[in-house]
Amino acid sequence: MLVALVVTGASVAGAQVPGSTTFFQPGTLARYNPAYRSVPLRGGRQMPSITIPLPLGLVQFFSDHPHLQDDPMFNPDSSGFNPVEILNLVLNLPVNIDLKKAPTPTNDVYIGIGKDSLQVNLGAAKALVPQDAFGFGGVSRVSDIGWSVKGVRISVMGWVQEDVKITLGDTLLAFFNGQPAQNNTRYAVFGNGLAAAGFAPTIGYNGRIAGDSAHGLYVGAAVHYYVGLAYGSTNGNGGFTTGDTLFGGTTPVKFDAAGLAQYSTLGHTFGHGVGADIGFVYVSGPVEIGFGINDIGATITWPDTRQDSAFYRDSAYSQPVGRSVKTTTKLPITYAGDMAVTINSTTFGFVVLDAGQGTTVRLGGEQRFGPFALRGGLGRDQRKLVQYGGGAGVRMGPVSLDVGVWTHSNALSDEREVTMGTSLSIY
Amino acid sequence: MRAKWVWILVAGAAVAAACGVGHAIFVVDVYSFIKGSGQDTIPYFVPPGSVSASNKPQRIRLPGAAASIVDSVTVFGTLDIQNQAGSGTIGLQLYLAADSAGSYQSSALALNVPAKPVSGAATVQDTIVGRLAPGVDSLFRHDEVWFRLQATGTNGGATLMQGRALLTSIVLTVVIDDKIF
Repeated sequence: MLVALVVTGASVAGAQVPGSTTFFQPGTLARYNPAYRSVPLRGGRQMPSITIPLPLGLVQFFSDHPHLQDDPMFNPDSSGFNPVEILNLVLNLPVNIDLKKAPTPTNDVYIGIGKDSLQVNLGAAKALVPQDAFGFGGVSRVSDIGWSVKGVRISVMGWVQEDVKITLGDTLLAFFNGQPAQNNTRYAVFGNGLAAAGFAPTIGYNGRIAGDSAHGLYVGAAVHYYVGLAYGSTNGNGGFTTGDTLFGGTTPVKFDAAGLAQYSTLGHTFGHGVGADIGFVYVSGPVEIGFGINDIGATITWPDTRQDSAFYRDSAYSQPVGRSVKTTTKLPITYAGDMAVTINSTTFGFVVLDAGQGTTVRLGGEQRFGPFALRGGLGRDQRKLVQYGGGAGVRMGPVSLDVGVWTHSNALSDEREVTMGTSLSIY
Repeated sequence: MRAKWVWILVAGAAVAAACGVGHAIFVVDVYSFIKGSGQDTIPYFVPPGSVSASNKPQRIRLPGAAASIVDSVTVFGTLDIQNQAGSGTIGLQLYLAADSAGSYQSSALALNVPAKPVSGAATVQDTIVGRLAPGVDSLFRHDEVWFRLQATGTNGGATLMQGRALLTSIVLTVVIDDKIF
């Protein structure tokens, strides 16, 4: 099986790299390609029973902030208080150590205000304004408990789908891009979001259908019966329309919003649907090529959906649209292709993944020297900048210690930061 | 909701997006709010000696800077002193305060424009330029500020000096440290 090429160094480190995954860990590919369940690990590698990140970054954090109760960063009355930084801290716990930080970007923002004029110049920060729809989404398989007998696997998979997209209207986008605000013009944001969760009883097969362990073709397939426990979705838009004069005119700004919410919660009839995963892996000597597709045809029917519309114009009101309406949602299809070459103790390869949110590419290699391993690789981040990673590991009996370093960039600077992560694995 | 606050929210979002160390620089065209309202003109009648006259205090709504630090406030404006009779000097003072009454206090003096000599029926152009007194910077942390323009005349002659000071532009530049929360 394709092993720890470790673009990002230690396995724990991988989760922190923008746009990266822990794809190169043993076993991870089986998430996207069921054929990998039957492909043996090569190069003397083993799947760890558990991997524990070592939070050395917390040592650095508490060294920088020794007195949290007096720290200006956490004191709302202080000019150093910054809720954005705190939110970032919560969402991205400082588990890893920053070896090199990019210089803090400087950027002045100009805002011109007149009775009938308004214009913003964001400077370099204009690059942060999303020109297209932005958001996040995907399907997580939060659990997969099963039993295998001779390649036939029966399991129950927990799944969670989320999909959030927001788009700035043309006029608002133009304003952020530097165009002056206009009279009698609507400025709006459009958005839609969906969240769904459930479980899926699954039956599948994986195994070698041709050749031997040196030259063989492995296939895998699984059929899921998706049971949807709950889902909710909303789509709509909101904004405001300027008057005859931007400021101080007799015509006030008019707010308006409209949206449609659909939901089927616990207590409603469960959703249901059928989908499938397929994949193959071809092994020929040192070369291993795999391709997998997930959630084919995974359309979930929700027979007991409630629909409500909501409007705002001068005052808010909502109106039921439908009860026990049949609606459908669709899980995005995920594609994953990979190739790896293993020669003795050397492995290198690449992975291409498209999980419905754009394609990512990772490539890297690993060289083992007895109990030691050296790793390196590169990938492309969401800004299409090439980022680099490297790492090392040592195996001592049932325990291995891994360390990885990787680069990443913030939104306002092309200069790369360097971060280090460590993990402990038990076999 | 008032239009200004809608736009302040939008502008605030823009500033928030522009994370990183820097400044939010608000360039407020104050003149656009008073143009044509009559408050851009200060008539003066100066008998021998000295006297002052002012317009009514005007309220300017601002993007309240909350806990942010107002780094500096500068003003640039132009003024036509349209003297109709007599001779002497006309100076201008800009007062800023948190409320209307406060703008009449001497402590509210934010900028003093040096006096210009005037004589006979002639128009003298003057400029209002400078950095406001540091004491008034904190006013721009609030969501409104009141300003009052006062013209002070001295008349060394024996006849009445009269005319009007006509604002033709005035712009405030408020530099705020990049911390909108």
